[in-house]
Amino acid sequence: MKKKILIVGGGTAGTMTANNLAKKLMPEIDRGDVEITLISNSKYHYYRPGAMYVAFHKSEGHEFVREQRSLLMPEIEFIVDAAVEINTNRNFVKGQSGKRYEYDFMVLATGCEAAPERIPGLKEGGDWFYTYEGARKLAEKFQTIKNGRVLITVNFPKTPNIPHQCGIAPVETTIMLHDYLTEKGVRENVEIVYTYPTEAQSVHNGLFLQEPTSKVLPAIFDGMGIKHKTGFTLNKVDPNKKVAYSEEGEEMEFDILMSTPPFIASKVIRESGLSKALDGEGWLPTDRKTLKVKGLGNVYTLGDTVDLPVSKAGGTIHNQTDVVADNIASELRYGYPTESYDGLVIAIAQMGLSCGMPLWYDYEEDVQPTPCSKLGSFVRKGFNKGIYWAAARGMI
Amino acid sequence: MNEKVEVLKSKEMQALEEKMTMLVQTGRIDNLIDLLAVVSDNIEMTTQPMVEKMIGTVDNMATAGFVTENAVRYAKRETDKNEVPSLFGMLKLLKDKDTRKGLAFILNLTKGIGKQL
Repeated sequence: MKKKILIVGGGTAGTMTANNLAKKLMPEIDRGDVEITLISNSKYHYYRPGAMYVAFHKSEGHEFVREQRSLLMPEIEFIVDAAVEINTNRNFVKGQSGKRYEYDFMVLATGCEAAPERIPGLKEGGDWFYTYEGARKLAEKFQTIKNGRVLITVNFPKTPNIPHQCGIAPVETTIMLHDYLTEKGVRENVEIVYTYPTEAQSVHNGLFLQEPTSKVLPAIFDGMGIKHKTGFTLNKVDPNKKVAYSEEGEEMEFDILMSTPPFIASKVIRESGLSKALDGEGWLPTDRKTLKVKGLGNVYTLGDTVDLPVSKAGGTIHNQTDVVADNIASELRYGYPTESYDGLVIAIAQMGLSCGMPLWYDYEEDVQPTPCSKLGSFVRKGFNKGIYWAAARGMI
Repeated sequence: MNEKVEVLKSKEMQALEEKMTMLVQTGRIDNLIDLLAVVSDNIEMTTQPMVEKMIGTVDNMATAGFVTENAVRYAKRETDKNEVPSLFGMLKLLKDKDTRKGLAFILNLTKGIGKQL
């Protein structure tokens, strides 16, 4: 009996895992014992970290999109069909087309979405760089601003100890904004105010969700004349008066509000009944080591959908993907998972338009911030425009 | 006033010093320092557009490699699975949509090369 592996989601997690599974299970594929199918709601694959470059007119955006089929090994069957129903009792997923995809093993990799509508007034009055559309809107505003205030706000999910997408992005974009406005010669007349919420996973009243970096940020910001304050959890925006209100009872005026909005899991996951997260956010209960969905014997998850405290970022997926692929392979071969995820996240932060800082952390150790460099920036940008695609294909 | 200062060195520092002394004495240090200097200068001179072009070239080659490697592996698997086809078997293979897509691609590939000659 041919064993069926179904991957739901064609983003970074789904693509890397499908390719890694195909590589790992090549002997079974050659014998006709295994078939791998990936379903996605889109024919295209978007490299999400590219969006913030669009916000500063450093990229048009098309460089970060490829056809999903071109990123997958031919052994993988790829079908454009949005998942609309997950039935873990009877081991199938129903697509928008009405077709049923049965599975012996499944990987849920549908990521997360920005949900600005969860804060009254944010969708109408605020901006964000986490989507290409949002980044384009920001680019136009940044292009024309000559004076006033850009206010940065960051929101976390209501479910405890879960980060927003890409923890370092608010810091990156704040420094990139400083560089951009300096380049344009308007920095002196535009005030940049970086705010951070009271609660940020295990950090209270800080400027970042990890202590070591949170401690060095004030000095870094001061050196660039970037104002910073903690204890500001955005909970309402008045789009007409352009005022941001916090849970803590404060209000701040802005000309541009560059926000990190609330994030939620995708609809099919939120409606699956599998989540135990608060506020209908939909994060999947994940075993931090095996990456199995808790309570299910044959379903794995990784990437942005998990309820783990690790970063919702590509650099996390790059280390989770082999754990999932290896575990599914060993379950097929021996009947039990054999690999364990140690929480490793790797990345090169874009700390300003031309300065890059390699970083890594895991379940045991936080990021140790180091000075950024021009060479680091080259490696980051090289990753954006080339190495990422090799990574997505499972080549690196 | 004459003072003699004695510096206490750890075993490791001593070993390092000995290596550096050797490099200086043999004249090797010149090339090594020059190499580091050239690397540093090249990093300084590199610009963002250069990085993009270099990475674009790497990506193009990786993509061509990926596509070719996949096609070869697929072709090998299919060929191994079946007996050597008869003439009729060949026609059947030609009728397949993916085969025709691939042949059209090869013809266009040939055309693309022709255009560059």
